[in-house]
Amino acid sequence: MRTIKFILALSLTTLFVWQLAQPQQLGDKTIPPFGSFFNPFSGFWTNAEPAKGFDDVSRSLPGLKGKVEVVYDDLLVPHIFAENQEDAARVQGYVTAQHRLWQMDMTSRKASGRLSEVIGEKTLRLDRLARRKGMVYAAENDLIGWKKSPKTMALLQAYTDGVNAWVNQLSPAEWPIEFKLLNYAPEPWTPLKVALVSEAMAETLCTWEDDLESTNTLAALGRETFDYLYPEWNPKQHPIIPDTGQWADLHPLLPPPFFADSTRSLGFMETEAPEEKYLSDGPIVGSNNWALSGAKTKSGKPILCNDPHLNLTLPSIWFQVQIHTPEANTYGVSLPGVPGVLIGFNENIAWGLTNVSHDVSDWYKIHWANAERSKYSIDGEQKSVRFSYEKIGVKGQSDFMDTIRYTVFGPITYDFESENPLRDCALRWIAHDVPEQSTFDVFLGLNTGKNYEAYKNALPGFDSPAQNFVFASRTGDIAIQTQGKYPVRGDQQGRFVQEGDRWANAWHSYIPSNQVPSMKNPSRGYVFSANQHSTPPSYPYYYLGNFEDWRSRRIHDRLEAMTNATVDSMKSMQLDNFSQRAADALPTMLRLLDRTQLDAEGKQMAEELARWNFRYESELLAPTLFEAWFDSCYTATWDEITALEKRGQSTVPTDDLLASKNQKIALLYPDAWRFIEMMQTDSASVFFDHPATPFRETARDIVLESFKLTQAYFKEHPENRVAFGEHKGFVIKHLGQIDAFSRFGIKLGGHRTAPNAISKANGPSWRMIVELGDVVRALGVYPGGQSGNPGSRFYDNMVDTWANGNYYDLLFLKSSGDVSTRILGKQVFNPK
Amino acid sequence: MEGTRHQTESKSTFLMMKNTLLTALAIFVLGNLCRFGLPWWCLAPLALLVGWYFTRNAWAAFFGGFLGGFLLWYATAWLSDLSNGGMLSAKVGQLFMGVQGWQLLLVTGILGGLLTALGALTGRWAKEMLVAPSKKRNYLQEKRR
Repeated sequence: MRTIKFILALSLTTLFVWQLAQPQQLGDKTIPPFGSFFNPFSGFWTNAEPAKGFDDVSRSLPGLKGKVEVVYDDLLVPHIFAENQEDAARVQGYVTAQHRLWQMDMTSRKASGRLSEVIGEKTLRLDRLARRKGMVYAAENDLIGWKKSPKTMALLQAYTDGVNAWVNQLSPAEWPIEFKLLNYAPEPWTPLKVALVSEAMAETLCTWEDDLESTNTLAALGRETFDYLYPEWNPKQHPIIPDTGQWADLHPLLPPPFFADSTRSLGFMETEAPEEKYLSDGPIVGSNNWALSGAKTKSGKPILCNDPHLNLTLPSIWFQVQIHTPEANTYGVSLPGVPGVLIGFNENIAWGLTNVSHDVSDWYKIHWANAERSKYSIDGEQKSVRFSYEKIGVKGQSDFMDTIRYTVFGPITYDFESENPLRDCALRWIAHDVPEQSTFDVFLGLNTGKNYEAYKNALPGFDSPAQNFVFASRTGDIAIQTQGKYPVRGDQQGRFVQEGDRWANAWHSYIPSNQVPSMKNPSRGYVFSANQHSTPPSYPYYYLGNFEDWRSRRIHDRLEAMTNATVDSMKSMQLDNFSQRAADALPTMLRLLDRTQLDAEGKQMAEELARWNFRYESELLAPTLFEAWFDSCYTATWDEITALEKRGQSTVPTDDLLASKNQKIALLYPDAWRFIEMMQTDSASVFFDHPATPFRETARDIVLESFKLTQAYFKEHPENRVAFGEHKGFVIKHLGQIDAFSRFGIKLGGHRTAPNAISKANGPSWRMIVELGDVVRALGVYPGGQSGNPGSRFYDNMVDTWANGNYYDLLFLKSSGDVSTRILGKQVFNPK
Repeated sequence: MEGTRHQTESKSTFLMMKNTLLTALAIFVLGNLCRFGLPWWCLAPLALLVGWYFTRNAWAAFFGGFLGGFLLWYATAWLSDLSNGGMLSAKVGQLFMGVQGWQLLLVTGILGGLLTALGALTGRWAKEMLVAPSKKRNYLQEKRR
């Protein structure tokens, strides 16, 4: 009996312990083992940071040469005071890891295709794609380039060591909560991971291309129609660098003798569209930056502004930091995992970034020479592919082996999907290249720069992802440069998928750095960029890209009119919800709308729209109505393309179309600006006609039809007839898609076509205004918090300030001994 | 007779209460060793030892064990939660089908409690199996008689 009782108790205990050690399934979510997760000594409870106070700490850090003091302000911004740059980098690594370790881990995992190791099968495709795009290959090449500069490599190593000094002393209780939730352990940081984080940024910013869509559309519509619908230059655009005659005596490099006809021979790239593409309206990620010279400002000193628009996440993509060394005193935002300040200012200069948006990724159709696809033909010869064997760890399963083929152009990305139209294409991507110089030399140059010369000297080392570097100095200079490495292209080369059987089609040379568009101290008194075209067509090199059409025009108009600018007028520009697209489209649509055909309710809706000031304000109904009407009008107009896409009743009879019925093909939709222009100047165009009806519709009919549809839609769905802020449903998602750590329910105005480019999940990820002068005045805010810990009061404390359109005065300290009521506490690091 | 029996009963109730509390206290104190990096499941063998050395009967082992583990985990978590102002527990609660912070604390306590209750009971019954039972009659036996 006693034995039975004992065995019973022992079994129960064992079973219970075993049960607590198992991951649990709750709905579709996997929840970590209860035992370790609820254990108050090391589970999630230990991530509950005190809601008040700050513990001053003093510790020794191996590798330090001198003492480093870190002053924290009331936003948890670390202000690092070091005796040399290497110590500063080491401590920057340490404090960044202290607050953002999981984010760093996640970003590097995503870039290197190692998510499945910790998440499982559902991220396997993502991992394969990351590797097949050559992300690790690109990062390894980065390192080769960076090693050319021993000085910055030493800083990189110091930063890495600093991160690891934090990681190595962590007990499981101190792991960020996401490690506990996903039930895996933090890993050491490496220089390769630094490169991976910067490649992740390159992936976000410079992998845009429409090669497949363009190729299919050209094949389907023919050259004339294609050129009519998809012009590359918008005459209303204000390019970043206007033509002031500076290119008259520029001797451009000759483009390669590529075979423009080879594109046509490809015909349709059959089978399904890889991704859903819709209303083509410029980039989802984009940014604004501008600088005003003293002539334009009230203080007589230059002002520089920057708001990079990115996917908004918690933890935020940015981490604010001040780095004070004998060389410079720099403040700004850094990327967690990467040393230095990326966007910021020091006592003498300020700089900011926007994406250049040139197309620097091309597809080449490979001609296989054997069935195993181990050899391919190029210029009549056979070449062997280089195989790369990738082992992908998958949580809960055995490792997955993938084989990637590398050609002279680059990796074959999609051959693991037999239905993918790009399955035989090699990816040529600028980010794969070994950098000419170390990217860190560029940022170190800016971080410590004192004047225009320092800026100008630093930039040419920056290859990718190409950025519009805006600049202002205390001495009154302003400048902008669309810095990057760009292939010299033949006309429209890279717009379409190219034949990979001719080496002539490859990239052979790059625009020399002294011919990259740039501008210093223009007489108009300002420089700006908003991802629009870099130059007018008179620039002697052909380039293409995903350029923005609306924000840039609005910003141009406001800067042009601005006098006596102050920090407040800069705020009003960054927060401007005025949409140039609405201002162009709505009056045209209302003019075309025959209101006599509307019922009383319709007339009321038209009046509501006519009263609208083109501002996407959160509390207004009109933008919701306009969005629906515009989309409906656009969709009704391009029904030909939709039909083609679905291979339904197409009006374009080509043999290619019959090739594979029942499958959707990837096609290009016209830009919104071109669509609006057609409504304005060519309202009888055949494209406004519905091929299926016996009538010949014009833009008037389409506008009326879509208006009635919109009206009917809102009648049927009164719940959707809501103010714009509610309609948009803005959200800041947690990086690991954990809803409990995300922010929902903030009602915001703004639109991707307005300077305040807030979309559903994208927007200004950092708003910065810097007024230079004897004393720098800087303001900044980002929608997040300095801490990556959801259990910290600094996790999302800046979100509401950001959402309300407010800013923080950035605390720019002169020394670690500065007195301020905003100082929270201090960490002191001593050499070991 | 009634009086004596009543006295015996209340005395043994008192003894059992005392033993239960002692067990709880022992687990609470020893359980704090987990602060120094012991994994969570160490609580079970720890409770087993307490069950072996401190308890007089299965009831005291189970309830004392539960009380000790419950208090240990609940109080530790509660202190964290208190200084945190309930910020994190509100978020983690959402992960668990939207439970409130106080419910999370309760779950934490119960998990800790069950862990030590079962551990202590196993310890007690292990002793009863391996070592000759004590001459003293325990409360249950009294009652059955």
